[in-house]
Order: sequence, then structure tokens, then C-alpha cells
Amino acid sequence: MHLAIMNSRFPPEISNHQPLIRLRQVVKVYRTAAGDFPALKGLDLDVEAGEFLAITGKSGAGKTTLVNMITGTDALTSGVVEVGGVNIHQLDENRRALWRGRHLGVIYQSFHLLPNLTLLDNILLPMDFCGLYRRRASRERAMDLLRQMEMADHAHKLPSQISGGQQQRVAIARALANDPPLIVADEPTGRLDSVTAEVIFRIFQQLVAQGKTLVMVTHDRTIAGRVSRMLTIQDGEVLNQPAA
Amino acid sequence: MMRPRWHKALADLWSNKMRSLLVIVSIAIGLFAVGLISTTHAWLGLAMRDGYAAQNPANIIITAAGFPADFVDRIRNLPDVQEAEGVALVSLRVQTGQDTSTPIDIQAFPEMDEKQINQLTLLEGKYPPADREIVLDINKLEDTAARLGDTITVQLPSGRLREMKVVGIVRDMTIGAGGMGGGYFIASPQGYITFETLAWLEQPELLNQLHATVRSGDADLEHIQSVAGTLMDEFERNSLITISRAAMTSTAHPNNPYLESMLGLLVMLGFLVVFLSAFIITNTLSALLNQQIQQVGVMKTIGASRFQIRSIYMVLILVYSLAALGLALAFSDRAAYALLTFLSTRINFNLPAVQPVPRSILLQALIALIVPQVAGSLPILQGTRITIQQALSGTGSGNADRPSVVYRWLAKIRGLSRPMLISLRNTFRRRLRLVLTLVTLILGGAIFIGVFNVRTTIDHYMDRLGKYFIADVNLTLSEPHSIREMTAILKQVPGVVSVEGWAGARAELVEPDGSVGEAVILQAVPTDSTLIEPILTAGRWILPGDENAIVLNEMFNESLPGIAIGDTVRLRVNGEETEWVVVGFFQFAGKSGGLLAYTGFDHLSRLTSMTGRSMFYRIVTAEGMHTLEQQEELGAVLEAHLKRQGIEVSEITAGLSLNETTARGLDTLTTFLLFMALLMAAVGSMGLMGTMSLNVMERTREIGVMRAIGATDRHITRLVLVEGMLIGLISWVLACLASFPIGKMLSDVVSIAIFSMPIDFVFTATGVFIWLGLVTILSILASVLPARSAARLTIREVLAYE
Ligand SMILES: Nc1ncnc2c1ncn2[C@@H]1O[C@H](COP(=O)(O)OP(=O)(O)OP(=O)(O)O)[C@@H](O)[C@H]1O
Ligand SMILES: [Mg+2]
Repeated sequence: MHLAIMNSRFPPEISNHQPLIRLRQVVKVYRTAAGDFPALKGLDLDVEAGEFLAITGKSGAGKTTLVNMITGTDALTSGVVEVGGVNIHQLDENRRALWRGRHLGVIYQSFHLLPNLTLLDNILLPMDFCGLYRRRASRERAMDLLRQMEMADHAHKLPSQISGGQQQRVAIARALANDPPLIVADEPTGRLDSVTAEVIFRIFQQLVAQGKTLVMVTHDRTIAGRVSRMLTIQDGEVLNQPAA
Repeated sequence: MMRPRWHKALADLWSNKMRSLLVIVSIAIGLFAVGLISTTHAWLGLAMRDGYAAQNPANIIITAAGFPADFVDRIRNLPDVQEAEGVALVSLRVQTGQDTSTPIDIQAFPEMDEKQINQLTLLEGKYPPADREIVLDINKLEDTAARLGDTITVQLPSGRLREMKVVGIVRDMTIGAGGMGGGYFIASPQGYITFETLAWLEQPELLNQLHATVRSGDADLEHIQSVAGTLMDEFERNSLITISRAAMTSTAHPNNPYLESMLGLLVMLGFLVVFLSAFIITNTLSALLNQQIQQVGVMKTIGASRFQIRSIYMVLILVYSLAALGLALAFSDRAAYALLTFLSTRINFNLPAVQPVPRSILLQALIALIVPQVAGSLPILQGTRITIQQALSGTGSGNADRPSVVYRWLAKIRGLSRPMLISLRNTFRRRLRLVLTLVTLILGGAIFIGVFNVRTTIDHYMDRLGKYFIADVNLTLSEPHSIREMTAILKQVPGVVSVEGWAGARAELVEPDGSVGEAVILQAVPTDSTLIEPILTAGRWILPGDENAIVLNEMFNESLPGIAIGDTVRLRVNGEETEWVVVGFFQFAGKSGGLLAYTGFDHLSRLTSMTGRSMFYRIVTAEGMHTLEQQEELGAVLEAHLKRQGIEVSEITAGLSLNETTARGLDTLTTFLLFMALLMAAVGSMGLMGTMSLNVMERTREIGVMRAIGATDRHITRLVLVEGMLIGLISWVLACLASFPIGKMLSDVVSIAIFSMPIDFVFTATGVFIWLGLVTILSILASVLPARSAARLTIREVLAYE
């Protein structure tokens, strides 16, 4: 049953009738020595396919926690998270990894490129894991992505040999490697200067224009007019959710 | 083109060459030790058993007063006898300097070039010698001060001198086989000549030792004994007087007790080393994989399944293992051969044509392929089990969500600086890792200290054996003299404090059927002697008023199983059958020592009609004259003095030299043990270096952060140093404790093989302190070196370091 869903990539009839991302009563409690800390307190959220959603909020509000629930990179305390109709927290670890590799691109504030691999290999790796492309094709695709990110000249360098902005562009290329419909980014420009941040933002706009769905955490409220929706998180709850 | 995931495995290997090298060497050293031990075990058994059997050693040796050549033919024709040969055995002295000489045992064979039994291995020169030439055995060659091509001077009974050319050097693996006179280690130098040379040496052309092999069942001692009995009957039927007989299997090398103890040690150590290397490997790999947890998180984010991640690391580990296996295989055989070469000169065997030992290779390969995978699977499992979030933030494995008890406890200690506290907390933060590191170090240290203690135990026992030879000078006269007169004469020499007249006789056990059995050295001591302090294991020593009381050494338990205090033993002394009552047992040099018994001087001298007279004197010298040189010097003075009095001296030996010969066999063992201790130290040290270096390397990032916030190199060095030395010291204390059971176990293996019973285990501080020194130095090196290289990186590089 799960396999069938994974192998079909978000059939359009489903996404027409249902939001791409659907969160219901999502609770995340961090258990610490000092006691339990509820970071998300029963949060509901729908994101339609093709949206460019920006999430903002004060530091410690629970943005990263929310994103982790959507990507399935951290365990849920209670509630439901469906992405493309799949209840991702019910998948086992291996299936979730495979599902994530095929359907989701994740971009981090601190890039997280593998330090010992060349940029090209970094992009090839997700394709290798998920096996959607043949070997020759995946190499061409990786070079294409690097070219799109204007990083083709650096293909054989190591991550430590390029700048932060460049690393983030490679990380985006890696997130796009398996051509996933959904991209989730947690403060992708947080470590970059405003000019570089603008370049990255433009890339995201292009991706949305190509039909991708983008969820991005940011502290930059000036982009409000340039995304399809702004969401503010406060103390683990959605502050305001104007009608889409 | 390689798939990117394998690319990643290789890139990980390649990116940190120092770390990869450490991992490979850590695995290799464990494999090496296992390989060295198992290969030595196999080769040693091969050399000592098969190599010995290849010399076609005599199964039966009968020493007689003399027998004709046709008697040998008659023996050879007996149905159970495969081959029989007669030998003429003579004892002479060979000059080693102006006034010094040493005894030499010479064998003359009638058909030298057709010799079948007790074959000699020609090492140098030629064999057989021509008439009036001599071939010498390599083992005690040094004592004769002769080399190939030299001419040795032999003293004849008449006082005449004969010069003989040394034309060949051979190895005679059968030295000590008769069991007479204490075996191989106290055997005199051995020479081999033609039968025709005997007359020229003023010796009778008379065969006096019979060597025979059995037709079948050469591994069945009982059968050989019974054939020996048949042979003895044959001697009797021909009215030939026999002196002693010995029976042994074709694989019973005279030095087998040492072989047994070494093999026992090798098995024990091998077992421990397998454990040790498993710990080293586990530890090293868990350190390595801990550094990879973040990358595991990243790979999971981009879609890697647990299986895919695991296979990457399994391949990575496989590459390390194969490299380590290659290294270990390349060196373990060589080291084993070097060890074998050393032992061959010490316990007298021919170096065999060795071949790689499949069992040893298999063992190394199995350990290399399995242990690292098992060891690695734990951290991999951990690394793949935590949530991606934990992996990425690097908190997953730290179990550091609250300050540990130790940390809180440490924080209460006054005078600890904050950075020091941080460092100590680091030590205790990763509890599992700390435990692994400690277990590795403790095991390595405990084995080292344990082996060292076994060595000391044996050394101590050798000193203890010296109490059987307390006298400074031992004097043997050509004929008996009155003890009272001799005492007076000897005391005229300055330095002589006291003199005791002892007696000695060669005796043989009398078998229940009345036939002559094994040879016994019977020593008679004055009941008030102060020159012997025996190690009594049961019963009592000789007392004044004792008549035919006798105290036996441990070897009688093997020859007369079940013998107990109060039993009667029958001995043939000077051809006469006598009865003795056992009053006690003492422990001597074990299986290589043969049968030895003590009785009271008065009784034996009455038996031999020598009341008040003796040929053997034990002399004590004044304080400050107890070194070997001083003893030898006094010996020369005494000899000259007696000569002036017209008393002929047969032999003078320094007390310490006697001790030395007894100790020589055990000395081989202690050298062997020292070597094993060094091997353990090397293995333990490598484990220590690898683990601690990886610990510090893992913290490269942390070091970078500390530097970024103002820590100087000295701060950082001090931090890692404190941590390293703390681990080292904790492990040292625990290793000292653990070394007790390990040392005792090893000591028992050795002593049971040699003495058939455990000897007192002695604990020495030497090994403890050497290990302390090693641990300290290695802790410093292992923590400061990687910290230094971390300090050499720029902060940017460090923070980028994963
Ligand atoms: N592993 C954790 N254990 C305990 N509490 C945590 C953990 N991670 C986050 N928290 C707490 O949960 C709350 C939400 O954290 P989260 O990281 O989601 O905030 P954020 O909105 O992303 O903040 P920032 O803008 O600083 O990144 C915070 O109060 C934080 O202290
Ligand atoms: Mg955040």
C-alpha cells in the first residue's frame, strides 16, 4: 500500500482535492531533564501544491520544530502529518528515508554538504540512494543542476573550497537532485549576506514558477509581498492564518 | 565509474590519512599478535616434535659397563627392535685457556657414516670426521672456546695432551635424552669421533651405551618400556652389567617441558590477545564512526535507507580490515620465524622449513573480517537509529542531556579551573567510550604486568633454587680424604670460613621385578648442614639420628606414581640393592632435573664404607667474597694449595656457576616471557595511542571553538593532557588489580608444565612501574600530538572539520 503511493508521485487528482501538506493537532514535546517542554501545541496547517509558504516567528517559537515535523526528520509526539496523502510518521525509518529522498528536498541553514565529497558527488549521492535515474543520466542531470546554480565550474571542488553562498546553491542543487515536488528550507539565507540571500531567494521564486511547492523559514519579513503566504509561529502555535 | 556512495567510503578513508592509518594499525597490531602467537605455536610444535622425530631418536638408551659389537647385532635381530647401535661414551677434559679446562663428553661410533639412530644435523664443515679429528655440537660450543677449523687440546687421563682439529659443527637434538645428570641444560659440551680414535685418546675400544629404536609403537611409552625390559634381560643373559636405562617416545624432545610451558603460555596469551584486539578494534571503530554521525544524518535527509548507510560503513570497515590483514600477514610470519630462530638456539632444535600456517591465516582473516564488522555495527546502529535532528546537531550519541553525576561531583572540588572542569567533564561525558577505552587499556596493561610478574616469579624461584647450592666453592677430589684433615688444610687458605664434607653416589631405581630402572642422583649431606635450604613440599628434612631416611624431589611422583611418606624405595647404590624410607619431598628444577634424592651423610658413608671421609667438599668464604669471579679466584687458590699438599683435585666449581647451569633452562623461559611482555606492551600501547588520538581528533572542532574564544595552545594542550593522563592513570590502577589473576593464571600454566605443580606467585612492582611509565608517555603522546595538529589548523579549517 505504501509502496504504491511512493511509486506514484502525487497524482494530480489527489492534489487538486487535498492540500499537499496537511497537519492536524500536531504536538511536539521535548523531554528534557528539566521537564517536558511543549514546542508545538496542537498545530493545524494546510499547504496547497504550488504554494510558496514563508514561516516566520521569534527565535524559539518552534519554526524549526515545525519544519522537522513536515520533513519527518524528528519524531512526532502526537497528531497527523500528511504529505501528498502519505502519513509520513507512520512509515518506518527506511521507507521514510526513501520517501523523503524522492519527494522532498531539504535545505539547511548550515548547508550540511558532505565534506569529503566533491560538489558533483554531493549532488549525485541522493540519486544514487533513490535509484530514480540511470547512472549516465544522473551525471548529466547533476551537471545540469550545477549549471542552473552557476556552479558548474566548481563541480570537482570540495565544499570547504567554496563560499557559503556557493555552498547553499550546491545544497539547493542537491535538494533538487531527484526532482521532488516539495522543497523545505530552514533559514536557507540565515548565514548569507543580503545580496547573496537575494540570489538564493530568486532561485526559489523560479522553482515555484516551475511548479514546485516551497516551504521556507525566514526572519526576513520584507519578502512578505513576494511569497504566496506568510505564517507566523508563536509559542508553538500559528499566530494568524489569513485565508489562502 | 564508481557509484557516489562508494566514492564517499573511499573519500572518508582518504581524507584523513592519519586517522585511517591509526585505525588500520590498531586493527593490524591485534591481528599481528594473534598471528604471531598462533604461527609460533604451530611451528614450535612442528620443530620440536616432527623435527625431533626426523632425527630418528633412540627409544631406548641402556648404559652398560661394556658390550661387544656382535651383541648389538643380536639386539638388532630381536623382533621388536627396528635398529640398534652401540656407542662408546667417554668423558675427558678440554683446555679452554692457560690453566682452565672444561669437561667434554665424546661419543665414538663404529660405523659413523652409516649412523641411523640419533642422527646429527651438520651445520658447518664436514661429517663424519677422519681419525683424530673431532666434530662438536653447537649447543655448548661456547664453553669449549673453539670454532670450526680450530684445534682443541684434550687432556688425557695420563696427563698427556692431544690436539684435535674441529672439522664440523653439528646439532644433536638428543642431548639430555638419557635423563642422566639433569638433561640438556647441565650437559657438558659434546664431541663426536671415529671409533678408531679412541685408542689414541687412551680410551678402551669398548661400546658402553646401546641405542635402539622400536619396530612399531614408537609413541607408546609402555610398549617401549617393555621392549627395554626385554633388552635388559638380554644384557643379563649375556652376563653384561648395566648401569642405567631410559625409555622415551620418538617425539619426546628432552626439552619438552619447556615446549609444553611455552605452548601453554602461547595458548593463554593468544586467547587474551584475541580479546584485547577485539576491544581495540571495537574502540577504534566506535571512535571513528562517532565522527560520522552528522554525515549519517545528512545522508538520511537526502534519502539514504538504513541499509544503504550501513553498507557504506561496512565497506569502509572492510577496506580498513583488509589493509590491516595485509599488514598483519606480512609481518606476523616474519616475527614468528625470528622468535623460532631465537628459541632454536636455546632449547636445541633445527629450524624447520616452515610454511604459512593455514590455521593462523584463517584465524587472522576471520578476526579481521568479523570482529571489526561486529564492532562497527554497534555505533552504526546507534548512528542510524537516532533521529536526523539529533544526528545533525551532534547530540545524539552524547547522552549529555544532563550533567553527569561525576561532573557535578567534580564541580565541587575546589581549585579546579573552569577549563579543567570542561576537560574532565569531556572525559566522563561519553561513558560507553570511556568504558571501552579503559577496558582496552586495562587488559593490555594487565597482561603486560602479569607476564612481567610470571618472569619475576620464575626469577625468584631460580634464586630459591640457589639455596640448594649455598656453598661458594664446590670441590671434588680424585679420591676420598679424611674430612677432619681436609677441613684443617682448607682453612689454612685465607677467606675460607667453613667446610662441609658431602657425599654423592649414582644410584638407580630398582623396579618391582628386580630390574634396574632410572638413574637417581643421591646426595648425602651432614644433618646439621647450613649449606642447603630445600623447598620442602611434604614431610620433613633429614634429621640427626636418621638411618635410611630419604627425601625425594618432585620427579619421583612421575617415576613412582602414588609414592608417599613412609613408603620404602629400593635403590641400587654402587651395585648393591638398598632400602630407603621416604620422609619428605622437596621441589627442585622440575622435569629437566631428573631424579634427585637427599639422605644423611653418616648413613651413606657407612654404606659405602667411607666413614669420616669424603671426595666432595662444600666451602663457604668470608663476607664480601660471594661474586662469581671471587669464587672462581678462590677456587684457583685452593687448587694450587691442595696440589702443594699432594692432594689431587678432580674438579672445582664456583657455587654460583652451579646455580647458573640449573637456571639456564628457566632463563630461556623468562627471556621468552619478556618478549611476550614486550609484544603485549606494543599491542596495549597501540591500542592506547589509537583510542586516545581518535578521542582528541574527534574534538578537533571543539578545540577550534575554544581557540576562537581565546584559548591559547598552552591552554588546549593542558586540557587534553589532563584528560589523557587521567584515563591513563585510571586504567593503570585497574590494570594493576587485574594483573593479579592474569599473572597467577599464566604462572600456573608455566610452573605446572615444568614442575608439575604451581610455584609461589610473586608480585613485583617493576612491571607495574614500567607500565606506569609507558602509559604516561603514551597518554601524553597520544593526546598532545593530535591536539598539536588540531592547533596547527586555522580556526576556519577546524570549524569546517567534520
Ligand atoms: N532538542 C531539544 N530539546 C529540548 N528543547 C528543545 C530542543 N530543540 C528545541 N527545543 C526548544 O523548543 C523550542 C522551539 O525550538 P525551535 O528550534 O523550533 O525554535 P525556532 O523557532 O526554530 O528558533 P530559531 O529562530 O532560533 O531557530 C525552543 O524553546 C527550544 O528551546
Ligand atoms: Mg530554528
